[in-house]
Amino acid sequence: MSSDPFWSNIFRRLSKEETDIYEILKSIPIFQDLSRQDYKKIEGILHRRTWNTDEAIVKEGDPGVGMYIVVSGEVRILQTADDGSQLELATLIDGDFFGEQALLDESPRTASAHASEPSRILGFFRPDLLELIESNPRLGLKIVMRLSQMISARLRQTNHLLKEARLRVKQSEKKLEVVEKTESDGVSDQ
Amino acid sequence: MTRQLRVLVGLGVVAGVLMFIYQIRGVLAPFGLAFVLAYVLAPVVDRMEGRGLGRTWCILLVFLIVFVSLGFGVFKAGGKMTGEMVELSDRFLRQEQVDKFFSITNNHKDPLIIEHLEWEDDSEEQPFAVLGGYNWPLEIEAGGELQVKVRFAPRGHSPGKNALLLTLLKGEEVHLHRIEVYGNRKWQFQTGAKAEVEGESGILPAVLSDRVIGFGKAGPNILTALGAIVSEYIQPLIEPFMEEEFNLADFVKEHGQRLAKTMLGGTTVFLGGVVSGLTFVVIVPFVAFFFLKDGHRLTRHAIELVPNAYFELCLNLLHQINRQIGGYIRGQILATSVVSILSIGGLSFISVPYALPLGFLAGLSNMIPFMGPFIGVISATIVALATGGGMILVVKVCVVFLVIQIIDNVLIQPTVVAKSVEMHPLVVVFVLMVGSQLMGIVGMLIAVPLTGILKVSTQTVYEGIRGYRLE
Repeated sequence: MSSDPFWSNIFRRLSKEETDIYEILKSIPIFQDLSRQDYKKIEGILHRRTWNTDEAIVKEGDPGVGMYIVVSGEVRILQTADDGSQLELATLIDGDFFGEQALLDESPRTASAHASEPSRILGFFRPDLLELIESNPRLGLKIVMRLSQMISARLRQTNHLLKEARLRVKQSEKKLEVVEKTESDGVSDQ
Repeated sequence: MTRQLRVLVGLGVVAGVLMFIYQIRGVLAPFGLAFVLAYVLAPVVDRMEGRGLGRTWCILLVFLIVFVSLGFGVFKAGGKMTGEMVELSDRFLRQEQVDKFFSITNNHKDPLIIEHLEWEDDSEEQPFAVLGGYNWPLEIEAGGELQVKVRFAPRGHSPGKNALLLTLLKGEEVHLHRIEVYGNRKWQFQTGAKAEVEGESGILPAVLSDRVIGFGKAGPNILTALGAIVSEYIQPLIEPFMEEEFNLADFVKEHGQRLAKTMLGGTTVFLGGVVSGLTFVVIVPFVAFFFLKDGHRLTRHAIELVPNAYFELCLNLLHQINRQIGGYIRGQILATSVVSILSIGGLSFISVPYALPLGFLAGLSNMIPFMGPFIGVISATIVALATGGGMILVVKVCVVFLVIQIIDNVLIQPTVVAKSVEMHPLVVVFVLMVGSQLMGIVGMLIAVPLTGILKVSTQTVYEGIRGYRLE
């Protein structure tokens, strides 16, 4: 069979795609430190899909179902501002992922994602994760653990940013006070 | 395409699919059963797979355990139950008497005289009789024919056998002939074997249409027995209120027979078509195996076909429907088996005949809200009365079912039946009637769970879609 160019071609291409996905999965934080067998199981529950240019992958406000991993192509993350204008938050390329928060709850998507060129994307969804936890609690727990670590790291970062922001607000408030004081002093001096 | 056109096309497609499903409903039954079986076993298989066993091995192991344990116990009980069920439904539909004709033809020039016609066994209890009040001897002229009507009306259900002795006179020659008659035999004799009665001199004096007459099955009908009880106890109560002469026993018998024929007739056809052993032993486990093994992959492949815009929506809906239906089916099966086992146990304890099919029927009909419990009580009461149990047995039956209902409502229902499948009584009545129209008793039993599944699905779809902004 291997001498048949048709079949060997198909098999070579398939296995290349498989290694691609394997490499990409290894680089995703929530799938790190898993055994080869675990990766195989995860690959079995991932959905492989392709999106065309300018097609929406997720829409802001829709209930979130799961996370997406970009295998190839380019995805833009957009958020609608209060005045209705589109704000571009990020551009994602191979190996990037988004929407992982939807693995935890059903809250609405906070931003939209559009493919800016034909993109191959893997989907990993909450129902599948829940089933995995039921059928393979060990693996499920590893993934959920990673997920919470990632989210807690992000929370820590947010806290840090919040702290900085508070500090800045306080500083600017102080500055404002000083300015107001000098202004009022100036007024009373006159 | 305009919106109206799209809706029309959609409705057309749905109608077409429903028609198709109705046409192939016989084939669908094993698939439906396998589907249900897969739903029930899936959590077990999933849990075992979590322990690190390969899925195929898990399924095989679960199948092995289920079939070996059920194989011995339930297969025997199942055989007994099918037997009892067939017997019971037969006793509702059984004719009380069967009439058959046979003829004696004289195809000679000379007249033929039938000296007499008598029974070989002419005791009082024998169930056969010649109707018509003939005055023997009778003469059949040349080329003439005499039709004789014989009736089989046994008092029980046991097989009967007798023979008619025919003495023919032609001129001076005497010919004896014997016609055997059978009734209630498991295996029917082929009737209609023509017999040419030969004279001693080789001349044929007559031709008989039958040498052996096989009567079908006949015997006392449960409804007649019921009618007798009704006329004894209830007729005197209602007599003063009826203007014309009204015989309640006849009314019960006539209408009961019609009802039994409609309901049990459909069931027998259904059971005959689908519940053949081969289907159940081979096809259902086979299909269930692949549902369990490849169910995930099948749904994944189905989802792959969905366009990107509806992909997440479909994925979400499918998962929720799956979860809801799974819960509903598992809950119903648990409730049905508990009520069945309790009913079978209770009815055998107070020694009601046919406890097995009656208890099973009570368990199944318990799925029907409001009316289900009454179906169980009424059917058991009818059988208890008609098979000679007195009023005390009826009271016992009522007590047994009351206790079971209390157990069911206090302990079982609150834990298994989802709130989302509450149905309005009108809906229940409507789907029951549709079910009985289409498939008899089986249709009535599957109507409510099927509607429950449909309701859960549409509800989930509706609630799921609300969150999305579809374009």
